[in-house]
Amino acid sequence: MVEIKHLTKYYGRKAAVKDISFTIEDHEILGFLGPNGAGKSTTLNIICGVIPSTSGTVTINGYNIEDQPVKAKQCIGFLPEIPPVYMDMKVGEYLMFVAGLRGVPASKRKSHIQRVMQRLRIEDVSKRLINNLSKGYKQRVGFAQALIGDPQIIILDEPTVGLDPSQLIEVRNLILDLKRDHSIILSSHILSEISAICDRVVIINHGEIQAIDTIANLESSAKANTVLKLKVQGSSREVARTARSVEGVVSVSNITFVKTGIYTYDVEISDREVRNPLLSALLVNKMDVLEVSEERKSLEQIFVNLVNQPAGKKKSLQDLLEEMEDVNQESASEEPSAEDENGEE
Amino acid sequence: MFSLYKKELQGYFLSPLAYTFIALVMLIFSGFFIWWIFTATSTQVEFQFSYFFYYNILLTTILLIPILTMRAFAEERKNGTEVLLLSSPLSVSKIVLAKFLAVATVLVIAMVLSLIYPLIASIYGYVVIPNLIASYVGYLLYGLAYIALGLLISSFMSTPGLAMLASVAVSLILFFVELMLGSSFLASLPVLSDVLYWFSNQAKFENFTQGFCQLSDLVSYVTEIIVFLLWTIISIEKRRFSRS
Repeated sequence: MVEIKHLTKYYGRKAAVKDISFTIEDHEILGFLGPNGAGKSTTLNIICGVIPSTSGTVTINGYNIEDQPVKAKQCIGFLPEIPPVYMDMKVGEYLMFVAGLRGVPASKRKSHIQRVMQRLRIEDVSKRLINNLSKGYKQRVGFAQALIGDPQIIILDEPTVGLDPSQLIEVRNLILDLKRDHSIILSSHILSEISAICDRVVIINHGEIQAIDTIANLESSAKANTVLKLKVQGSSREVARTARSVEGVVSVSNITFVKTGIYTYDVEISDREVRNPLLSALLVNKMDVLEVSEERKSLEQIFVNLVNQPAGKKKSLQDLLEEMEDVNQESASEEPSAEDENGEE
Repeated sequence: MFSLYKKELQGYFLSPLAYTFIALVMLIFSGFFIWWIFTATSTQVEFQFSYFFYYNILLTTILLIPILTMRAFAEERKNGTEVLLLSSPLSVSKIVLAKFLAVATVLVIAMVLSLIYPLIASIYGYVVIPNLIASYVGYLLYGLAYIALGLLISSFMSTPGLAMLASVAVSLILFFVELMLGSSFLASLPVLSDVLYWFSNQAKFENFTQGFCQLSDLVSYVTEIIVFLLWTIISIEKRRFSRS
């Protein structure tokens, strides 16, 4: 179990991380989510004892990383953003070296490394120079390094960067598999990736926690907004008015001309149930619906909106989403709200 | 710690660095050896340790040791592998010590190989064994002090090339300061010249080449090595605070 309490880190005068607190339970995959420069890597580096914090504590299985670094670091496997591999070593040699570094008994090293290499499917490159490997393989060697010594806590800083789609799925499955006997912290700026494997997610921006919530909550909120792409024959004004008059339609936007009398529309609906009433309303008014396609509001978009919220601590994702909605509506009603906000600042 | 030492030592022999270093040390030894043969007269075939080792150690410390030490921390920093060491259950002092011992081992290997010259000299001429032993002890300590200095400079720098240049520059400055020691100008400033003399590596080394293994010189060299190593540890710990 990892406990992070009131973690703060200043680089000179600039705060990279401000008063962060959260815990990682055993057998849990925690997603650490934020845009680039949000303080993800800094936080992970502090947890691993690579850089010291300005204030606050990190406790790993009861060992404080500052006071008992050796014992705390024995519980951690860390894959940094850039895989920490020596270019002039062979894969097998390198893992052997890491095993020694982590204090794996000499007699067990060989079999242990074999097992880790099997797990990451890098046995076939074990005799090759790391320098000659592709980026994906280097990344996997870096991943293997984090598993050496069977640490209870595995910290992965953007583990899927540079992997091709099939490797991506392999790594995802591996992480899910690791969950059985490890706790995992996983950072990423890609929400869909996190949503695929993480139990809980911490969203961070500008060094502050924006939300801590389960993936289930996150997804259910995201599904609330569905966008229908319609291609309808008829006057654009009429169609828009009819659509807006249907209960449950949030907005009609992005009206584009296709050819005379035919336009496409993006209709945002609050619930999928609204779909049929909407279509029937259009048909009843003699407007031919030529095409319907559904576009779920992408998780990434939600995430982008979340992290772009003005700074301030939020209790839960739900609050955030509601707030976001308010902002959207304000801007939809053509009030110069954005300018007002700037003025206040 | 042993695994890091082993990896470092392997690293020197997997790259051309160690071979280059050893070859150049042998070249310097050979050059001076030939020079000694040319200048030796039939009445004077005693192996001249003071000259032989004086220029030898100067060239080695100024030009060659930076080749070995430049990579130590600068390259780890450049490649991002420093994170691996810092997140491993190994204290910074052990990391520094392992690296120091690895470089020291390369130096010792070069020195052992260089024993061939006194050996040849002993066959055709005359070698004073106590002088030989003392010279080698002095050579080792002098070299270790510069290795520690090189590691310190490497810990300041972000690329090996910079570390090498800076090490050469610092060694040259030290060399010139010690060269000034014999000048009449410094002799007119007794306090300054005394202080510089206490810290002079070359003056101590001269005692060794004369066959004197003085405790004060030994302690002085060992202290120098320890100070540089501690400074390296502090430098790395300090850098952890500012890295991002």
